[in-house]
Order: sequence, then C-alpha cells, then structure tokens
Amino acid sequence: MKLRLKQRWARLRVWLRPPRTLKVTRIGRTYLVVTFGVGLGALNTGNNLLYLLLGLLLSMVVVSGVLSERCIRDISVRRVGTDAAFAAEPFAFRWAVSRKQGHAFALTFSEADSPLVGGGGVGYLPANVEHVVRADLTAPRRGPVRLTGVRVTTTWPLGLFAKTRVLPLEGLLLVYPRRAYACQEPGDAERGPAGDAGNPRRNDGSGDVTGLRELAEGEDARRIHWLKSASAGKLLRVEREREERRTWVLAVEPGLEGAALERRCEEVAALAHRLLEEGHEVGLNTTDQRLRSGAGSAQEKRILRALAWLGFEGLREEEEEAA
Amino acid sequence: MTRGTRLRLVLRDVASGCAFASMAVSGQLPLWTLGLFAFALVAALFGKRLFARRAKLTALLLLGVAAVLAVNVTSGALNLVVAACAFAGLISAHRLLSAPDPATDGQVHLSGLLMVAGGAALSGELVYGLFLVAFSVLSSVSMALGVVEAAVPEGEPIPVRAVLRPLGTGVTFAVAGAMAFFILFPRLNWNMTGPRAAPGLGPATAGFSNTVRLGGAGTIKDNPRIVLRATLSPDPGVDALGSYWVGRTYDIFDGMEWTNAGGVRREREPLLTLRPGGDNLIHQRVELLPAYGARTLIALETPSRLGNAVANGSTGSRRTSLQELAGGEARFLEAGVSYAYEAYSLPPGGSGDSFRKLPSEEQDALLALPEALDPRVAQTAARVLNGEREPLAAAQKLATWLQREHAYTLEQNGEREDPLADFLFDRKAGHCEHFATALTLMLRTQGIRARLATGFFGGERVNDGYVLRAGDAHAWTHVLVPERGFVTVDATPPAHRPSQGSRLLQRLLGLYEALESRWRNSVVDYSFRDQVDVARALVRPPKGAENTARSRLPPARAWGAALVAGMVVYAAWRLVTRLAGRPRPHAATRFVDAVEAMLVPARLVRGEGETLEDLDARLARERHPLALALAPVTRRYLEARFGGRPLRQGEADQLLRALQQSVAAHVKLEAQRARASEPRARAS
Repeated sequence: MKLRLKQRWARLRVWLRPPRTLKVTRIGRTYLVVTFGVGLGALNTGNNLLYLLLGLLLSMVVVSGVLSERCIRDISVRRVGTDAAFAAEPFAFRWAVSRKQGHAFALTFSEADSPLVGGGGVGYLPANVEHVVRADLTAPRRGPVRLTGVRVTTTWPLGLFAKTRVLPLEGLLLVYPRRAYACQEPGDAERGPAGDAGNPRRNDGSGDVTGLRELAEGEDARRIHWLKSASAGKLLRVEREREERRTWVLAVEPGLEGAALERRCEEVAALAHRLLEEGHEVGLNTTDQRLRSGAGSAQEKRILRALAWLGFEGLREEEEEAA
Repeated sequence: MTRGTRLRLVLRDVASGCAFASMAVSGQLPLWTLGLFAFALVAALFGKRLFARRAKLTALLLLGVAAVLAVNVTSGALNLVVAACAFAGLISAHRLLSAPDPATDGQVHLSGLLMVAGGAALSGELVYGLFLVAFSVLSSVSMALGVVEAAVPEGEPIPVRAVLRPLGTGVTFAVAGAMAFFILFPRLNWNMTGPRAAPGLGPATAGFSNTVRLGGAGTIKDNPRIVLRATLSPDPGVDALGSYWVGRTYDIFDGMEWTNAGGVRREREPLLTLRPGGDNLIHQRVELLPAYGARTLIALETPSRLGNAVANGSTGSRRTSLQELAGGEARFLEAGVSYAYEAYSLPPGGSGDSFRKLPSEEQDALLALPEALDPRVAQTAARVLNGEREPLAAAQKLATWLQREHAYTLEQNGEREDPLADFLFDRKAGHCEHFATALTLMLRTQGIRARLATGFFGGERVNDGYVLRAGDAHAWTHVLVPERGFVTVDATPPAHRPSQGSRLLQRLLGLYEALESRWRNSVVDYSFRDQVDVARALVRPPKGAENTARSRLPPARAWGAALVAGMVVYAAWRLVTRLAGRPRPHAATRFVDAVEAMLVPARLVRGEGETLEDLDARLARERHPLALALAPVTRRYLEARFGGRPLRQGEADQLLRALQQSVAAHVKLEAQRARASEPRARAS
C-alpha cells in the first residue's frame, strides 16, 4: 500500500513538474527587468494603469509557459541518422519528427549529453505529419559516440524563454576520422600477387581498351595511338582497363596512442581517400584487423569504419554482442 | 524579404506606433518629438530604413536629443517623466529606422513596453487602454512570427495563419489573466498622489473672462467637447437635465461689454458659503475637465456652498483654496489641468438674496444703463410691457416678445458701434448674449433690477451622472424679485439654449464619454474599497437585491455552489470506481508479499529481481539455516499461484507462523553470534 502511494506521489510529481529545463533568453531577461520595474512602479504609485500593465506582462509569462509546454508535449522523434560523420567536419544529420495532436512551432533539435555540436530546427509541425529535420552537426573527435536522447527546445511563443525537453532515444554514431592532409606519401605500391591489380604483368599496357584521350604533358609516349592521332591531328593516347591501378596496403602501426594514433588515423583516412579516388585498390592493416585490398566507395567506408573503431575495441565487442 | 517577414515588420512598427500613441494621448509630449516619431514610423512602414548603414553614427543624434531634453528639464520647461517618455519614443524611432535584425526587433518591442509604461504614468484616458491592448496584440504576433521565422529554414514560407490561431487564444487568455490580476491583486497602497490629469489633445474651449463683449463670434456653441461631469444627489434620474449651471454674473454694461462692480471679496477660503441653504440642498460632485480651461467654479443655480476643491495636475492632485470675487464668482486659487470639488445648490425658484444685503456697489449697478443707450430700447420695453410692473411677469413678457420677434443665429456681421440696437432694431438676430443683454437692459429701462448671468445650460445623462459640453455655454438674465431674490429668466429661444453642434458628433462623443466613465470607475479609480466590494459581492447578495422582485429560482451563487459540489462528487465517484474496478491481487500474491515482509528481519542479501523461487534455490545451495523453513512455503506458493491448488482457509497463516518462528530463531542465533564475536574482534 505504501509502495503504491509512493508510486502515485511520484507520478503526480512527474505530472506537476515534468522534466523540463527553462532558460531565459536575452530579450526575456530584459522583459523580466521591465516587468519588475513596472511592478515596483505600480506598488509605489498605486497607478492602476501600471497594475493593468503588470497584470498583462505577468499573464504573458504564464501564457508563454503554457503554450511552450503544449508545443513540446506529444512529440515523438526517430533518428534517421547520417550517411557519414567525419570528425571536426560538419555532417548532415536527420531526425524524423511527428506529433499526434496539436501544432508545434519553432522547435530546435540536438543530441542530448553528447559531444556533437549543432542542431536543426522546424518552424511549424502540424499533427500527424512526419517531418524530417536536417541539422549540420560536428563531432570533435573520431570514434563511437553513444547517443542517449534528443533534446527538443522551443522559444515559442514570444522568444522570452527557451523550454527544453529531452526525449530518451538510445543510439550509436560512429564518427570517422577527419580526412586531413597526408604529409607522407603512401609509399610503394604493393606488387605482390595480391589480386589482379597487383600483378605487374598487367601494367604493361596489355589490358582491354577503355577509350582514347589527349596525351597530357609528361605522359608515356608509348601509349600513343598513332593511327587515331594522325586522323585527329593531335596526339591521342590509349586508356586501358586496370593498367594504371595499383594496390596499396596502408597500416596503422601498433603501439600508437593518443594524439599520435589520431594523427595516423587521419593520415590513413586521407591517403585511402586519395588513392581510392584515383581508382587504386587499398587495404588496411591494424593491430587487430586486416582489411583485404579493394576499390570503390564501399572499401573506403570499410577502411573508415575500421579506423573509427581503433582504440574502442571493447565497446565494439559490446555492440556486436548486443546486435 | 518574404511576405511573412514584411508582415512581421509592419506589425512591429505599428505596435511601436500604438505604444507611442499611448503616451501622445496625454498631450504632454513636446510637438517636435511627435513629429520626429511620426516621420520615423511612416518611413519604416514604407520600408525606408534610413539609419540602416550608419546605426552608430546616427546614435549620436539620440545623444543630442537627450541633451535637448535634459536642458528642458533643468530649465523647468519639461517634466522629468515626460522627458523620459519622449526619449523612449525617440529611441524607438531610431530603432525603427535601423536595419531589422533580431536584436533591433527586441529593442523596438522593449522600447514599446517602456513607452506603454510611460503612457500609464502620463495618461488615464480610455484611449490609452485601447492602445495598450493594440500594442499587446500586435507586438505578440510580431514576436511570435519572429520566433517561428528564426526556426524556419531559409527559403521556406512562414506559416502565418497557423501561428495566429494558437497565439490569438494565448493573447485572449493573457488579457483575461491581466484583468483577473488587476481585480484580485490587493492594492497595498492608498494612492497618496491622487488622480493625475493630462491636458489631452486640443486646446481648452470654454472659459470665463472678466468681461462679456457683445459681437463676438458664437462658434463655441458648435463645440461638442465635454467640459464638466457631475453627479447629483438626489439624483433627478432624467436623461436631459435642462438646468442652468452658473459661473458668474455681470452687472455693468457700457454699451459694448459687461463687467462687474467690485473686486475680491474673500481671499482664501477652503469652503465658500455664498448664501445660506436649507435642508433641501442639491449636492453636486463636480469635475471640470481639461477642455474647460478656466478657474471659475460652476454649480447648479443657485449655488449655496462650494468647497473640498482639488486641482489635478500631471504629477498628482493637491487641495486648493477658493477665492470669492464680485458677481458671485468662485475661483480656484491654484491652477491645475482639471479640478474636482463639491457644491450645494438651492432648488430652483430663486436665490433668496435680499436687495438690502447686497453690496452697495452691486445695488447701484443693478439699474445702471450705458450712457449712449439707444432711446428706442426703453420705448420698446415700455410698449411691450404695457404697464406691467411686476418684475418676474415683466421679464417673462419681454422674453416672450424677444423670442417671437428675433431670430437666433451664430453668424455675426462684425463689430458694431451699438450691438444692442443692431440686434433689437436692425438685424433682429443674435445669440444668447444678445438676447440676455437685451432683456436685462430693457428691464432696467423700466426700473426693474436685473443682471446678466453666464455659465452653461443643459446636462446630458451619462451612466450615473451628467455632462456638459463646451457648446452648452450660455448667458441668461437674473431678475431681482422681492422675497425671492434673483430669479432666472431666459430670453433665448428654448431650442437654441443647449449645444448647437452636430448631432452625430455629439452622440459619438456621448458614447465615448459613457465608455470613458466606465473605464474611469472600473480601472483608473479602482481601489482597495472596490476590491472589498467585489469580495463582498461574492459572498453576500448585492445591495438592493431585497428591493427587486424575488425570483422563485435559487440565486446564481447557489447554482454555482451546486455545480462545484456536483463536480467534486463526480470526481470522487470516478476515483472510487477506479479503485473498486482495479483487479484484486491474487491470494497467492498477497501471501508472497507477506512472506517477503517476514523475511526482512533476517537480513538476507537479495539480488536484483530475485524471485522467491530463486531465493529458495540459492539458500538451499548455500545450506542456509532458513532454507528448510522457506522450502515448503515456496513450494506451496508456486502451487497456489501456478499449479491450480489454491491455499486453504488458514493454511497461509499456519505457514507464515512456522516461517516467523524460524526467522525469529535465526535472528536470535545471529545476534548471539555477533555478541560472541565482538570481544574477540576487540582483542585482536
């Protein structure tokens, strides 16, 4: 019986004092100062018009609280997420927002209790319509970011107060390392028998013809298609499939920690991006993982994921177990 | 700029204009500030933000304006409050002309708020209330649109219509809340400064001078502005009072203008008794408004006592003494924007003055004629009276003749050498001063004492009182009748005695006055006493309810109480039904609750979410002394809960008793062990 009473009391308290935070905006502070001044003036002079004005100012504060509460009540949020989040770079993040009844105005969304900086907003949210809110967020460093909830804030209706509510929503965001400028060259391409692209026999211009293009300065004159060049009146070279593709296996050396590890991850990410963009195949060696060489954006994502988890292996195991 | 943004800015600018107007209606702001603000507002409404590129440089202009206002204040030309209000208006004007951004918008709204507060300090007009509401609504909508606009991604339209609906509801509730606060918030002070008065817009129109010059234009008769409010006791209860309100009298006419014999009679009196009164005096609480523009007191004919006078200024009210002058004129000693006082008057029929008790110079003046009086005046009077010598009858005979033979007109044909002869014999048309002068002098030519009286005629019912307009200014004749004193005889045609202004305008002003009166009674003069009345009205029937016809239905309060009681009963019934309708816990569940409670003294370490079955299994594994006692209890619980074998009558008590004994024995044993282990621990 006692327990039930306690539960009811707790429920009543929650109903009376919902978990909201209220912050006074800059204009709101001035508004409150003016209200205080009008109140003092009214009490001091007994001027009824000042009492009337004071009543209006105080009522607007109450109405502001009620309208903002109606605005952020009954909101549900679903994380749509992002395609790729890179550390220290703004990335597009999305939430799908809806509400069952009533209208909401001037809502801003951000991730609660996370290092992600930035937020998105929606001016008007009608009932029973799912609205996708886009935000440019920035993560300060790479690695997994545990998301616990979405913070919804509104300054509706007068912009005097910012009322905030946190909607609990668990999630994980993997932040890839920043693709900084790589100071070092990737080194010599892998020439071992690791796949066709690494086969030196395929670098002799014997691949299938994929097209012709004008010979650039400093390019190998042996690739000139003389017949076509003669008919076109300019030097054209033959482009062959895979003939220029090399294979690199990048490595994050074991034993790196802290800033050195971060720097190396960024460098490897930058190199991998550059090489893959040039059409090469790239693999990755880390202490715990070895990624086979591959090309294309999917391979880049694999490399970035592997780099992002470096140093957070314990958390990764937990996640995989949970999955 | 999108459509929504433009609308928001227009609303912001108009709201600022309303806030400024709430100060301007007091009529106290310097004209140049009005001009500057009007220019800024018009430019802003046309989208011309002239200070957009040089906000800081143009802010220096404000410093210059502040310096000018400061000089005005120090020289005494301007009140400090008025100067502060004017400066707030000019700050707002500067912000209106600056580039619109969130900070500027906020400054415009806040300066508007300051202006509205300043307006409350300067004015108590009904128009102020209208501007206050207009400012609140427009400013709220503009601020809300600004908040939504900031959250709407660039390029998307602002949902103006969607915003207006919830905001309209919110503002309505805010206004209702403001009224509730206003009514219920206790007035902790007694308003020692008293009511304030603002000169209002437009110059004062009425007034009394020391002379009345014939031939002046009668334009005042067209003026519908209200100059006097009065409440009478006993209340005549008629819509049109049709009474004479006297200000002063004149007894010497030099052929062109009327003057008085004598000067100041009493210098400084808090209460003036002009003539003795009886028990049937008419009490008047009179308020002379800023449009009146003179210091002469007005009272119903014939005034007996005047006093309790207060002069209202822009800073408050103060008591003022009265001065009595010749011609029965009473004046306020101190100047004010408006005045309030009380007066007692004799009922109509005569002033009761005795000729012998009049000052000697006044006695002589009552028969004085101008030296160059046209002889035809006396001849005509004699012809019309035809031997009538009784003063009142003679006066009425002459008045009837004048009304019949002469027309009423407000048009004048310039200054005449002998305006009376011109009126009587040439033009045969004039206004009230011509009629009154003609009657007075014609009576005097026949040896009947008379004088000219000026004041107002009329009295239009507004709510519980009467008002007089500037157009009600009038002149008439006092005829001295033996035993009755001065009796009023009016030669002006009755239709032309009250105001001659436009009917529509008068009706509109009357409507405004009725609203203003309610505003004044309910808002401006609302006090702690009114709050007590409100509270009393809630718990007791209003005064006079017993006089009205009793209804067989219960009073509204009874309906209200019944409604509240009904709601309470309904809520209680809902609660009881909900409690009664909830599923009863299973008997086995109650049993296990009791077992758990019984195990508490044993201080068993329980894992999170560990059920009784788990606990029993763990205790058995650990060979705990209580395992033997707990095992049958647990088994029986599981059978009762899930095995379809409910507990028999008294079985639960039996099992619990056995468990309780085991627990008690275990607790006792543990305590003994603890006591036994304590000295060893100390020794080690």
